[in-house]
Amino acid sequence: MPYDALTKAWIWLIALSAGSAVVAMLVAQGMDRRIAGAAILVLALLKSRTILTRYLGLSEAPSLRRGFNLVLTLYCVLLLGLYLIGGTSL
Amino acid sequence: MSTQPSLLDEVPGELMMWVLIVSELLVFGAGLAVFLSVRLTDPTMFAESQDYLHRTGAALNTIVLVTSGFLAARALHWRETADRFKARVALIAAAALGAVFLVIKGMEYADKAAQGIGPETNAFFTFYYLLTGFHAAHVVAGIVILMLVAWKDEPRNIETGAQFWHMVDLVWVLLFPVVYLLG
Repeated sequence: MPYDALTKAWIWLIALSAGSAVVAMLVAQGMDRRIAGAAILVLALLKSRTILTRYLGLSEAPSLRRGFNLVLTLYCVLLLGLYLIGGTSL
Repeated sequence: MSTQPSLLDEVPGELMMWVLIVSELLVFGAGLAVFLSVRLTDPTMFAESQDYLHRTGAALNTIVLVTSGFLAARALHWRETADRFKARVALIAAAALGAVFLVIKGMEYADKAAQGIGPETNAFFTFYYLLTGFHAAHVVAGIVILMLVAWKDEPRNIETGAQFWHMVDLVWVLLFPVVYLLG
C-alpha cells in the first residue's frame, strides 16, 4: 500500500471521528435528532469503508470492496430505520 | 478450458481471517440491530440511560483505536520494506494504545459501578455491558496477538495480526455511534 494512502486514511478517520463528536454536541444544543441520527450513521459508514479499503487492503480487491460496501450501506439503512421508527424525542 | 480467477483469489491476507472478520461482523451486527429493536419498546428509557454514558471518553477511544490500527498497518509496510525495528516498535505502540482503550473503558465501567449501574439495571445497560464487554474481550485478544506478531515478526504473521486488529477497530466504529450517540 502506498505510504501516503495510509496516512491520508488515518487523517480522514480522525476527521470523521471529530465529525461524529460535533454532531453529538449539536444534538445537545437542540439539533433535530432525525438529522443527527442520519449524519452519525453516514459518518460511521464512511469510517467503516475507510478501514475496509485502506487498513484491511480491500483497495486491492475491488469486487470484494463493492460487496462489503453494499452490505454495510444496507445495514446502516436498517439501523437508521430502526432508530427512526423508535422515535427520537426525550 | 479457461481458468478465470475467483473472488477468493482477490482476498488480501489470510482467507481464514476474513472468515473470522465476517463472522464477527455478523455477530456484532446482529447485536446492534437487536439493541435498536429492543429500544423500540421504550425509547425514552434508552435515551435517559444513554445520558449516563461517557460520550467524550468513547469518542477519545475511537481516536485511540483508529490510530492504533494505523500503526498496525504501518508496521506491515515497514516489515515488508525490511525495517524490522520500526515495525516492532509500531506493533508495540499499537498494543499500548489498545491498553489505553481498556483503561478508558475500565474507568467508564468503574464509574457506572460507583453509581450502582450494572448489567441488570435495565435492558439498555444489559446490551451496553454485553456489546462493549464482548468488544473489550476482543481488544484484550488483539493486544496479545499484536505482541505475539511483534515477537514472531514474519510479514505474513504481522499481516494476519493486523487484520484481526482492524476487525476490532471496524466493530468499534459501528458500535460507538449506535450505543453512545443514537439516543
